[in-house]
Amino acid sequence: MNEALPACIADFDGCITCGDHAVELSVVSVDEARGLAVCTDGHGGTAEVDVLLVAPVAPGDRVLVHAGTAISAGAAG
Amino acid sequence: MRFVDEFRDADLGESLAREILGTVEPGRHYKVMEVCGGHTHSIYKYGVDDLLPANVELVHGPGCPVCVIPMGRVDDGIAIAHEPGVIFTCFGDMLRVPGSKGTLLEAKAQGADVRMVYSPLDALRLARENADREVVFFAIGFETTAPSTALTLMRAKSEGMRNFSCMCNHVTIVPPLRALLDSPDLRLDGFIGPGHVATIVGARPFQFIPSDYGKPIVISGFEPVDLLQSVQMILMQLRDGRCRVENQYSRVVPHEGNLKALQVMSEVFALRPHFEWRGLGFISQSALRLSDAYADLDAEVRFSVPGVRVADPKACQCGEVLKGVIKPWECKVFGSACTPEHAIGTCMVSPEGACAAYYNYGRFARERLVL
Repeated sequence: MNEALPACIADFDGCITCGDHAVELSVVSVDEARGLAVCTDGHGGTAEVDVLLVAPVAPGDRVLVHAGTAISAGAAG
Repeated sequence: MRFVDEFRDADLGESLAREILGTVEPGRHYKVMEVCGGHTHSIYKYGVDDLLPANVELVHGPGCPVCVIPMGRVDDGIAIAHEPGVIFTCFGDMLRVPGSKGTLLEAKAQGADVRMVYSPLDALRLARENADREVVFFAIGFETTAPSTALTLMRAKSEGMRNFSCMCNHVTIVPPLRALLDSPDLRLDGFIGPGHVATIVGARPFQFIPSDYGKPIVISGFEPVDLLQSVQMILMQLRDGRCRVENQYSRVVPHEGNLKALQVMSEVFALRPHFEWRGLGFISQSALRLSDAYADLDAEVRFSVPGVRVADPKACQCGEVLKGVIKPWECKVFGSACTPEHAIGTCMVSPEGACAAYYNYGRFARERLVL
């Protein structure tokens, strides 16, 4: 996770990935070999996300991320 | 797929509120439990309960994993954190959970290297960057979070990481729900089911609620319109004399769950025979440990932990709050001795805890005025 916290995390008054909340992010790039993707919240926050549970994903796909892992995914649009 | 925007629509919310008002029977009191702490937080953040008729009462369930962690487990984590050479990592809301001798944050102030992470992957990254240190991840959460831990442990194992381990405190949702439903002092009409747990486990594990206990359950999303619609679906089941598992959060929750997640969980974890839940006592097969194949990465095997059971503070009524028997503001120490800054009970620590949600969003003042 980079220094700029996603607004959705700051909005939650705490660590949103800790509980049963999840954050909707968009896939920027995918490292298929490692099962990881760089994702963005569209507000300057980016995170490296484990996408093994929802593979395959492609840039532009939206993923629901909990504790650094995508638990659900959908196509762009 | 959209997860958020349309589900914060004020007009749609008001329309659902009117539908709810038209569905309830006058003179009947409805008690609906939201199982998940994330729901509790959303309800108070968006004022969802203010849109409900006075005879529809939302009861807060045991679905905040931080709130149910017993003090003895916190003590065990602090003991590991004080081991020489250890970097102890955990999610942010665990830092302020009190054990019998303080919190992880206080342990950090005393010199232990305790660090907050946003994901297990962050902890594994720390282990790669600090090959001369032992990095321990304090894993906590329901089935939503457990796959993330499992995937990280699989990565650690495949990379041959020798300086990474996990203290596993993952819990499962069905056993405490059964324990709650068996509790004689509980009267509930239905359940708002945990949407993200169900994203992993699917809808099927909740079938026992209508089948064995005759209560409706609606698996719900986390936005205000989601919650209002779920309440309406429960009320309609009650009005029509139906009783089943319904899925309001179908845009995310597949009926069968996430099969890959279930597969990795079954490889990495095994059920503990029993586990203590704060306020609920010991519940059989309600938590996960690392499987024998991953014992090398088990911090409880690698380090010596006290493993001492610690009784909750007598003044704390987290147990009754977690069972929905009392409202947070009815606890003797709520808002006085127990505040988010100096929490006695775990329900006040986590943003998802019922007490913290009440305290942070002004429920204390409002409820007192109602009295």
